[in-house]
Amino acid sequence: MPKIDFKGITKSFGPTTVIRRFNASVEDGEFLVLLGPSGCGKSTLLRMIAGLTDISGGELLFDGALANDWTPKQRGVAFVFQSYALYPHMTVRANIAFPLVMDRFRKWHHIPFVNMVQRWKVMRQPEVADAVERIAEQLELTPLLDRRPASLSGGQRQRVALGRSLVRDPSLYLLDEPLSNLDAKLRTQMRSEITTLHQKVKRTFVYVTHDQVEAMTMATRIVVMNQGYIQQIGTPDEIYDTPANTFVARFVGAPPMNLLPVKVAGQTLHAEGDSHWQHDGGAPKGATSAIFGIRPEKLRLTAPGAGRLPARVAVIERLGAETVLGCRLGAEAADVSGISTEDLVFVRTPGHPGFAHGEACGLDYDAGDVVWFDKSSGQNVAATPVVSTPEPAFEG
Amino acid sequence: MKRNPLLSLSRGLLIVILATFAGFPVYWMASTALNVNSQLFNTGQVPWPQLGNLPELLSELAQVPILRWLMNTGLIAAGTTVFSLTLGSVLGYALSRFRFQGRGAIGFLLFMTQVIPEALIVVPLYAIFITLGLLNNLWGLVLANVGFSLPVAAFILKGAMDAIPYEVEESAIIDNCPRLGILSFVIFPLIAPSLAAAAVISFFAGWNEFLFAATFLMDRELWPTSVGLASFIGQYETPLSAVMGAALVFSIPAVAFFLLVQRKIVAGLTSGAVKG
Repeated sequence: MPKIDFKGITKSFGPTTVIRRFNASVEDGEFLVLLGPSGCGKSTLLRMIAGLTDISGGELLFDGALANDWTPKQRGVAFVFQSYALYPHMTVRANIAFPLVMDRFRKWHHIPFVNMVQRWKVMRQPEVADAVERIAEQLELTPLLDRRPASLSGGQRQRVALGRSLVRDPSLYLLDEPLSNLDAKLRTQMRSEITTLHQKVKRTFVYVTHDQVEAMTMATRIVVMNQGYIQQIGTPDEIYDTPANTFVARFVGAPPMNLLPVKVAGQTLHAEGDSHWQHDGGAPKGATSAIFGIRPEKLRLTAPGAGRLPARVAVIERLGAETVLGCRLGAEAADVSGISTEDLVFVRTPGHPGFAHGEACGLDYDAGDVVWFDKSSGQNVAATPVVSTPEPAFEG
Repeated sequence: MKRNPLLSLSRGLLIVILATFAGFPVYWMASTALNVNSQLFNTGQVPWPQLGNLPELLSELAQVPILRWLMNTGLIAAGTTVFSLTLGSVLGYALSRFRFQGRGAIGFLLFMTQVIPEALIVVPLYAIFITLGLLNNLWGLVLANVGFSLPVAAFILKGAMDAIPYEVEESAIIDNCPRLGILSFVIFPLIAPSLAAAAVISFFAGWNEFLFAATFLMDRELWPTSVGLASFIGQYETPLSAVMGAALVFSIPAVAFFLLVQRKIVAGLTSGAVKG
């Protein structure tokens, strides 16, 4: 199985650069997720690994060998497309068998009618037929083998696309947002199926998504990207607990991390407006202003006057097992009639907390759960980022 | 849902009327072919076919090499179709998939071939054919016809290829399918209705062509049926029944070809109507 190294990979389309100096490596057998918003260059990167898009600069190494100009065939990868990209005129059986048929393709098979006979003959070869049957059984597609993609559901089509990539047993699987066309329930099901598949086949998976839930649940390692730059590389826990910058903090987590620009005056923190509270855990050394970050589940909802931060409930989202409350800081002055959620502080609390809309409440936290970011650069000032970008994009 | 009988009846009636309009010229051709010539030039033409005149019609047709002409027509039409589809599909693919300098200009030039009337290029083409030794040669005529039907075929096929998601092709690339294989295993089956439509257009362009054939072919043995039919017209006499008989024979293979490919065309018109 190849180890893939990216050394200063750059991709430009005319004057527009979409990937800038990308340095990373994909270890053997890992499930690496490229996570980022639309247009951040993650799909382009995946296509460059597959050889479907040319590399403008830098080096792509497969087991140390320069692979920039290798054809997709030389790279020996499997690619699952967002739209499945099944062959609509072929049956499920023919779709799954197609890579094997092409492996046995000879130049003289181009002759019209000869190719039809040859393809038919190859598909009936025991090793091809058995491989297709085995994959179909593994993906529960056996009853559908003689149907065409148009008569399949989205989940079944996705399984056929996976089957087509599995049948050749490649060492590297590239998946480009394969679940984004599925409904929520099916997506959850397919998510665990792909994870199980990864554990079963023990191959390297590179998976592109903009859905942080997919990334957190499936990845062994995540590369968070924005505007063509790597924002952070790390395990899901590292990404979640110690985000390298405010972009990662906001992008990973639902609801995202609460980020409050504050002025530091000794033990007192002053947020925008009149809101201020006592903070006993210290602040970034020598800083008079910083960004105070805390995950919604690290905040505790208390009775009015009991917590450090006085607030008022502006939004209540009941999710069954837990409730997410959007609070506006400041007890008396807080206006909860506005529809904007930009300045809300979100609290995730188990069960039903019993607060009503507009009701006053208090918020408390443990000082150790606070993550501090530099106000101007947006970089995490407490944790050393695993990888930081040369030109970080600050989105406070 | 219960059908409205009045609506069904009026729909049926409309179909009958339209079919009558479309079929009447063919019927009249058959009826005329089986009439006596002398009746045709008076007001006494019998409006229904007189089968008794069939032997006389056959003996009249036997005096001309109509089978030979039909074979020539078939060769020209088939040659035009095969070359137009082969080159048109490759050209259409290049225009649809590749980004290269002059792509727009090629599209414009192809379109221009449809704007220029055939008659305008007969003389220059005649001079070129003399130089190339293609005068009085059926393959020369195929070449001339391909020049006009190729752009149409290329545009039809380009449009169809544009509608195929590029990811399907990329998927084939990942599956180790060679570029030519992508065309024959993936693209062609998906654009079969458009291929059929382009085949019909190219075939009938070759089948019905008259101007180039009348100009470039001198030998009577090399004429296609269209020129042969025109040769019936004499200075003093035109055997109308023989002309109509020959025209009837001329139209049978064309109708058969159309029936052969029309299922594909209809399938193409209705495909995509239902969300997949």
